[in-house]
Amino acid sequence: MNKATFSGRLFRDFITNKYLYLMMLPVVAYYAVFQYAPMYGVLIAFKDYSPLKGIMGSPWAGLEHFKAFFDSYYFLRVLKNTVIISVYSLLFEFPAPILLALMINEVRSRRYRNLVQTVTYMPYFISMIVIAGLIRDFTDSGGVVNTLYSYFGGDGTSMLQQSGLFRPLYILSEIWQKIGWESIIYLAALMAIDQEQYEAARIDGAGRLKQMWYVTLPGILPTIVILFILRMGNLLNVGFEKIILLYNPVIYDKADVISSFVYRKGLLEFSWSYSTAVGVFNSLINLTLLVLANWISKRVSNNSLW
Amino acid sequence: MRGISAHRTKLVVTALTAVMLLIAGCSGNNNGANSAASSGGSSSEPASQEGASVSYPITTDQTLTYWAEYNTTKSTIDEVPFFQEWQKRTGVPLKFTSPPAGQSKDALNILLASGDLPDMIEYDWFNFPGGPEKAIADGYILRLNDAIDKYAPNLKKYLQEHPEIDKMLKTDNGSYYTFPFLRGDPLLQVYQGPIVRGDWLEELGLQTPETIDEWHTVLKAFKEQKGATAPLSFQMSFLNEGAFVGAFNASRVWYQEDGVVKYGPMQSGYKDFLNTFHNWYDEGLLDKNIANVDGKALDANITTGATGATVHNSGSGIGKWTPLLVENDPKAKLTAAPYPVINKGDIPKFGQKDPIYTTGTNVAITSKAKNVELAARLLDYGYSDEGHMYFNFGQEGLSYEMKGDLPTYTDLLMNNPEKLSPSQAMSLYIRANYGGPFVQDKRYIKQYLTLPEQQSALEVWTKTDVDKYKIPQVTPTPEEASELAQIMNDVNTLIDEMTLKIILGNEKVDAYDGYMEKLKSLKIDRAIEIQQAALDRYNKR
Repeated sequence: MNKATFSGRLFRDFITNKYLYLMMLPVVAYYAVFQYAPMYGVLIAFKDYSPLKGIMGSPWAGLEHFKAFFDSYYFLRVLKNTVIISVYSLLFEFPAPILLALMINEVRSRRYRNLVQTVTYMPYFISMIVIAGLIRDFTDSGGVVNTLYSYFGGDGTSMLQQSGLFRPLYILSEIWQKIGWESIIYLAALMAIDQEQYEAARIDGAGRLKQMWYVTLPGILPTIVILFILRMGNLLNVGFEKIILLYNPVIYDKADVISSFVYRKGLLEFSWSYSTAVGVFNSLINLTLLVLANWISKRVSNNSLW
Repeated sequence: MRGISAHRTKLVVTALTAVMLLIAGCSGNNNGANSAASSGGSSSEPASQEGASVSYPITTDQTLTYWAEYNTTKSTIDEVPFFQEWQKRTGVPLKFTSPPAGQSKDALNILLASGDLPDMIEYDWFNFPGGPEKAIADGYILRLNDAIDKYAPNLKKYLQEHPEIDKMLKTDNGSYYTFPFLRGDPLLQVYQGPIVRGDWLEELGLQTPETIDEWHTVLKAFKEQKGATAPLSFQMSFLNEGAFVGAFNASRVWYQEDGVVKYGPMQSGYKDFLNTFHNWYDEGLLDKNIANVDGKALDANITTGATGATVHNSGSGIGKWTPLLVENDPKAKLTAAPYPVINKGDIPKFGQKDPIYTTGTNVAITSKAKNVELAARLLDYGYSDEGHMYFNFGQEGLSYEMKGDLPTYTDLLMNNPEKLSPSQAMSLYIRANYGGPFVQDKRYIKQYLTLPEQQSALEVWTKTDVDKYKIPQVTPTPEEASELAQIMNDVNTLIDEMTLKIILGNEKVDAYDGYMEKLKSLKIDRAIEIQQAALDRYNKR
């Protein structure tokens, strides 16, 4: 009875809202075709995949490729490096655009504001290979950054040859590249804050700092939380492009991450199955972290993705 | 009524039969055309006689597809005159695809994964992950024994005349897998070695260094008296052929001694090498950025006089830098130095020497090839007399002229009116400086190396014992190859890391012993076993 009512209700809903359903169709189709269908490709992580035999035709390998990854001599090291670089960028790079947005928000001169925004966006649009070239030139012995660093105790050798400096360089350059671009979304959120709240705060005698703390920050907190949760879902995805453009064997012990390791081992050796297995492993961890972050945030702040 | 109806039925049946016959006839014709095409290009052509040579150009209406990495000043391969004329001369229309420069491995990876293969792929098939046998077993490329036997009379003839080359080209199973690029003369096999600023040596009254001690003296003089900030600079990979490391009876890579395979970094001499280089680094004789040196950085070091010695090629090193140096300092000169040794008079153990069959640019016919015979005939052209001239010298009257017996490159190549460098201009009209399916001619190198320093460099660098120690082109089985690749991947990470860390002084020289312990746990012994077995099989071929 219940069932019948449900399907009956569904059917009636179809009839009344048929155009809405029709409009939804392309979106559903998009997800089915481009997001869900390719997922069966995950199978190749459990197979000895050869393109000419196809996904179904390739022989099963079980958990062989996962084992090869976990047993690898460098597994722990690359996992550790990946997590550390991710956590550092969460700690230092994630808050940077928020601070920038807050500061831009306080600037009263319109022209100055535009100037700052344009200047900070710029690095985002430079291609990664050029960025890496710049970083290398600046940090080699005789480069600008290296010369500055030598005033603070650097010994003048190429900074990318000192493993202790890799993570700071990586994070700082990340901030430099992305701070402007990532601040856009916060600036948008700032625009949405009701001006009357500021007026009320001012009448109550709040200074600019207090206004920022009690009005502005709570106003953009939901945005921050959502972006933070999404960020957690990418924790293990440290992109390999920048790393392989910057690293060298001397600093492997700090710079070698999962993706660069897989690039050397998987892609250049044409082991698709192996690379996929690592990808599946990454996704599982990321998914777990995402769910966890979402759950905590729901408990603590009532903000969540779902 | 009945009669009429019967009559009608008959008519219909007849008509139907006629139609069916027509269809059958058509499809019959189609089959005929197809089989003719797949065995011989086009039916009117006498080429299909197996084993016989054809007269080029072949007449065909099929277009073949060809994948190759090719660095050129033109925006696509199709615009390169060499490839346009190649199609005209062989009569085989081609469609080219080409990966972005330096990304051929990534691009091939994606190409193979797509399963949508062109007819021919020019690549380093010998170093295909898993080896050439795996590329055949996985169904990417064809075993070419049949095709070469039937449709490549010129290559076949060459291999019959050169059995030692024939041995290199096959796998252990006796499979041919490519149309190879072959170095036709020992002069073409050696092109790399230590290079020093000859004018600095003369000015300082020093001899060309031969021993490690002499090198030390020279580098120190460069630093102190010529103000060189990075007296010795090179890209680490250029030590793989044995420069400097070889003096200490070690190597960065595999080698053999009396049929026994050895892994260079495991030899005790490697530690001595690290020790010496660490000392040099401490004394400021070695480039401070040594871990980061790439081609661009090296160019800058050499041309600004920060560096007085390096390891590089005669063409892209001496040939490229000398004109740039001479612009500022007419006396500047880059001369070749022999591979360093410990005791004066010793013959260096290692040195760069390409095998006759260099594995870089060889053309395989893929399993998806529409017309194997046509592809084979196209690729065989380079080994014919006419093709030999065309690949090495290009078109007579345009890129070369006969002066007596000697085909001489014209100004179009050597003194290009559009200000292209000789190597850039050459890559538009010939393939002698790039490789491909043909036998390279030594008359190319004699003209390409225009500077007297380049000519003498070859003689200096040739004097090594590398022939005795080099591992020939062995082919592990596909299973062995993938196991070897797994092991060597970690091993190479370890060795690269160790080498640089010790040289830079991040770790003490004695850390070497600890690394050797780790090497054992990476299963290096198994890797040695695999290499040894492959070498034994090769020697038995």
